[in-house]
Amino acid sequence: MTAAGVRRSAPGAAPAPVHGAVHGSLRLACLYLVSRRAPAALAMLAAFGALLWAALHWHWNIAGGPAAQFVIPLTIETGAAAVIAVTAHGPFGEPERATGRWLPYLRLAAIVALTAAAVGLLAAGATGGVLPGGFLDLLRNVAGITGIGLLSAVVLGGALAWTGPMAYLVLTETTLAGNVTTPWVWPARPPHDLGGALCAATVFAAGALLITVRGAREAVRD
Amino acid sequence: MTTATKAPARRTLPPAAGAVPVTAARQLRLELRHNVMPRLLPLIAALFWFDSYRPSTAMPPYWVFRTFWNMGQGHTIIDFAAFVAGVAAWMGSRDGRRGTADVLTAAARPRWAVQLATWTATAIWAVGGYLAFVGVSFAVYAYQGVRGEPPWWWVAVGAAAVLAFSAAGFAVGVFYPSRFAAPLAAFGALFVMMTSSQIGFSHRSGWAQILPTNSNGNFQPDSGMLYPWLPDLPIARIVFLAGITVAALGLLGLPAAAGGPRLRRGAAVAALAGVAAAGTAAGLASTARLGPHGLMIPALHDAANDGPIAAAADCDASGFRVCLNPDYGSDLGHVTAALAPVVREVAGLPGAPVRAVQTAARYSAGEGQGGQAMTISGHPPVLGMPLGALGLPGAFGWTDEEVAGQLRLLFVHAFVGAGSGAGTPAQRAVQAALLQGAGLPIAGQPNLLSFVGLPSWARVTGGPSPGPHRASGPVYAAARRFAALPPGARHAWLAAHLAALRADQLTLAQLP
Repeated sequence: MTAAGVRRSAPGAAPAPVHGAVHGSLRLACLYLVSRRAPAALAMLAAFGALLWAALHWHWNIAGGPAAQFVIPLTIETGAAAVIAVTAHGPFGEPERATGRWLPYLRLAAIVALTAAAVGLLAAGATGGVLPGGFLDLLRNVAGITGIGLLSAVVLGGALAWTGPMAYLVLTETTLAGNVTTPWVWPARPPHDLGGALCAATVFAAGALLITVRGAREAVRD
Repeated sequence: MTTATKAPARRTLPPAAGAVPVTAARQLRLELRHNVMPRLLPLIAALFWFDSYRPSTAMPPYWVFRTFWNMGQGHTIIDFAAFVAGVAAWMGSRDGRRGTADVLTAAARPRWAVQLATWTATAIWAVGGYLAFVGVSFAVYAYQGVRGEPPWWWVAVGAAAVLAFSAAGFAVGVFYPSRFAAPLAAFGALFVMMTSSQIGFSHRSGWAQILPTNSNGNFQPDSGMLYPWLPDLPIARIVFLAGITVAALGLLGLPAAAGGPRLRRGAAVAALAGVAAAGTAAGLASTARLGPHGLMIPALHDAANDGPIAAAADCDASGFRVCLNPDYGSDLGHVTAALAPVVREVAGLPGAPVRAVQTAARYSAGEGQGGQAMTISGHPPVLGMPLGALGLPGAFGWTDEEVAGQLRLLFVHAFVGAGSGAGTPAQRAVQAALLQGAGLPIAGQPNLLSFVGLPSWARVTGGPSPGPHRASGPVYAAARRFAALPPGARHAWLAAHLAALRADQLTLAQLP
């Protein structure tokens, strides 16, 4: 006799206590976050916030035109996005996918929570001085570049997810010096630019959706 | 039961001759096959094309211009730095992430040696990729007929930088074996490069010359054409980067698990030697001073590099004789045509040059490449004409006509005796009138004077940024008055008063 096909409790069985279900959900979320090294990621995001504070407070800006003023904050925002993207890497693979009914929701919640934490911590760091572009710029850049990192995780695997944000930064650093106007290079657009915001939001939404549904690719044979 | 306490200790058998190299080679082969670096080389190639190669093709076909963006300002290093450091950190953290460090500690070969094999494989892929991409881009430049000599020393600096980033990233991975090691190392590399650029733009001398993306004074306008590339600063930077590499690798051998006492002592010595080399190189860079052919470091300087590159000049003798270095030969017609109107305007006047020869352009700490001034000297008078960044259509997006205007301006500026300054009001008025006679209307001259590539005196007279002034005021009023004279009368007045004008003895009121 097997239990295959049994999906309901036996008639007359006592229902699971509500507080137990809540406790179980919380425990599941905590275990998921720990497996993705979310606490370490949060610590690093806080360090990036502190670095941004120092950069703005002591004016570590690139000499040159107005676009050059964005480079150091943008580099820090990219570092934060790369750290978030790397948390998409899961260590359990097939067993987790086979048994984790809540896995897609956990992935989405973790990514959104970490991105929100990154924006908050960097915004706190921005109090060290005048952030070029302001909060809207920071929000757009962090969300958009995190989206690139998530897409990289889907394509290359969580371990190499950091390459997408870094490559985007190198491309942007070049285009900031020129007169590129495409909204896909949103760091080069003004903070209130709708096209840039839409592109960044689209990339973040696409990355979050794909990472929710598919998870990071398990490709790196390290 | 007997114990083995009195038994003679079993001696470790020496490895068979040739066994260690064979084992090391086999391990290196395995590491090369299982390295992550090759998977990222296509991405780096795409970035290299977009960030290093593509912008360079907009510059005139001279090695010094084509490679200033990617080698002089270090954009090629920026393209590689983050990915090399990140992948190296990933490879360095492998044993820690897998939890196999203890297994390796008990293995036959010291852990340090195993780590060095992994790093060597990563470095081979990284430096190999760098040399391959640079080699292909240089081959394309050569195919396009780019003139001068390639900056080989700066290619070597880039290779040393890639090596240093791989070692530093690997050390990060070894000491912080986590999934975050790679993004942290990549971020650190990019942040260092951005900071290096920031310091480099503002520090024209001192220790900051050691930074790989500091472009102040490392590329001279005529390097590899009229004079050789000076190797002083590249050598200092290579020593600095090699020192960082050795220090990072030495650090790996310091932990107790790395190997035996002798090996760890060796690692400590290597780490100290690396730090000493990097410090020494930074100290040498701080002694650099700007010479006529580039930054000279007294302790590294070879006087044999001070001489010009001998070459028979290309001359156009169809009218006013203009002689250029053969590397600039294709510009001869353009330069001759650009000078012709001003040559006609001053023909027959005292001090009018009878021919023009190209002189070596120099980078000035204050002026950058824009401080090139023409001179008129000798008997008969000869126009000394540095081209460098000037006189080259395509440089900084300049058109043929804009470059011709700059050449005429510099010619007339030298002719009226204004020297390296803006000149007296009378000299500026005569200059404006002569330029109008040469086909440059006075109304458009402030725009010409505001070009970035000209010496700073031009911007002073053209008006501060963001835009040029209008051609108004007493100088331009006097210039319009003087230019309105019949050519014969203007010529006669100049013949009589040029000496006084050049001696700063004339005022605006004395102009006719």
